[in-house]
Amino acid sequence: MENSLSVILGGWLSAGITIFLFSFLYKDNPLFKIAEHLYLGVGMGWWFIVLLYGTWIPKAYEPFMQGEYLLIIPVLLGISLVTQFIPRISWVSRYGFTFIMGYGAGLVLPLNLATDFMAQIGGTIKPFAAIASMGLGEFINYFLIAAGAVCVLTYFYFSVEHKGFIKKASNIGIYFLMIYFGASFGNTVMARFSLLYGRFDMLYDFSGARYAFATPVIILLTVCFFVYRHIADKKKAGITKTAKAE
Amino acid sequence: MKDRLRRFLNIDRRWLFLLLSVVMIWPIIHPSGIAGRTTQQSVKDFYDFIENLKENDFVILGVDYDPSIKPELQPQAVAALRHLFRRNVRVCILTFISGAPGLIEEIKQTVPQEAGKEYGKDYVIMAYNPNYMAAMTQMSIDFYKAYEKDAEGNTVKGMPVMKGINTYRDMAGVVEITGTGMLDAWVAYVGDKYNVPIIGGTTAISQLGYGPYLQNRQLLGLLGGMRGGSEYETLTGRKDKATSGIDALNLSHMLVIILILTSNIILLVLKEKN
Repeated sequence: MENSLSVILGGWLSAGITIFLFSFLYKDNPLFKIAEHLYLGVGMGWWFIVLLYGTWIPKAYEPFMQGEYLLIIPVLLGISLVTQFIPRISWVSRYGFTFIMGYGAGLVLPLNLATDFMAQIGGTIKPFAAIASMGLGEFINYFLIAAGAVCVLTYFYFSVEHKGFIKKASNIGIYFLMIYFGASFGNTVMARFSLLYGRFDMLYDFSGARYAFATPVIILLTVCFFVYRHIADKKKAGITKTAKAE
Repeated sequence: MKDRLRRFLNIDRRWLFLLLSVVMIWPIIHPSGIAGRTTQQSVKDFYDFIENLKENDFVILGVDYDPSIKPELQPQAVAALRHLFRRNVRVCILTFISGAPGLIEEIKQTVPQEAGKEYGKDYVIMAYNPNYMAAMTQMSIDFYKAYEKDAEGNTVKGMPVMKGINTYRDMAGVVEITGTGMLDAWVAYVGDKYNVPIIGGTTAISQLGYGPYLQNRQLLGLLGGMRGGSEYETLTGRKDKATSGIDALNLSHMLVIILILTSNIILLVLKEKN
């Protein structure tokens, strides 16, 4: 059996922070601020630990201590980036950035050109090589893809004036873009709802006896907090009004 | 009448938030079972790829997402691992995302036990690696240069699960579940370059962007968001979190559609009256 106290504590913390963050939907409040600051603080701490134990110790410190002294070169290049914060020696950081840019560009450019450019051009044209054996549905499908690609490219081609045939093609390109944006927005809504579902599902899990009824208790306390604040604000406003009248 | 319609248009949006919450929570308490009955071709391709793997094949399962998108992607990763284990395939789980090791640990505590799989013999979990480009490139020359130790600090070389594995040539493919651009990286740096079959699972937002890769067979199968996850769960015959989430998604989408239609009709009516 898991340590029940740590399970309960974890449930309360998780449910509490979720509810506090959701409370912003009602209005800005101190509970939301607490959760927001906690998130930032914990995030920074987490990154520090990950970088220390996930990168520095296993990738730099341990191999160096085992005699891989050449590691000092990438380590120094990495440290050089930090000199950006000291204006007098910030020029040193250029060496690190130069290495990152050279290495990144050398690796990324040829592969991305092959994968995202050449292969895509081939993929749009190649199906038409088998046009004789193609069914009507398949033909329409591939034709739409090819026509869509050409029309959208025409829309982004600014070296000639958009009039006549070019204008018609670029207008059709706008419709293809609109369809893409619409589908993309629909998928975005679905994705956000999925995340919301995830939080609600978790809150439902934490509402049971195993977690000492974390969700209902915290919701109740949050509502009480808002009611108390509302009454206090009203009282304060009443006192100010009376003072002004006097 | 006109005033009432206007009041509806100016409704405090917090009431809508509350309504949406009720609509979403209801299916969690009372599952309605109105999950989709269709299956996208890309999901079927994903399923077929794993189904066609041979016993004892070796596959990399990339778990590259953090808790912020867990509801969409964790069900996909769990279903894929269950399916891989059912096919008796050896699995190497790895990640390039710092927030993922905790989620991998969560999966490790349930799925292998259910399938009766043993750590080190049937599957292995690699340590988090911050530099994906270097790791992907190194694995093409020598796997153990990229991953010398597993997540628990054990030496990887010599583990029964790694028998005969040195480079991508010895692997049957890569299954990448991610909410980042890591799937693009696997396709560009590994799939296209070394002819390694790649299938992926991604968030609904990213799903559309992978259409060109799918059409070109650079990507052999794709699960998109919770919907893709639920369709895949249906195909594997083990309905779980993604399937139960689809009920809530269906109802909330219906609410949004109804609200959009109602507001537009009201606007048209008001315009007509003016």
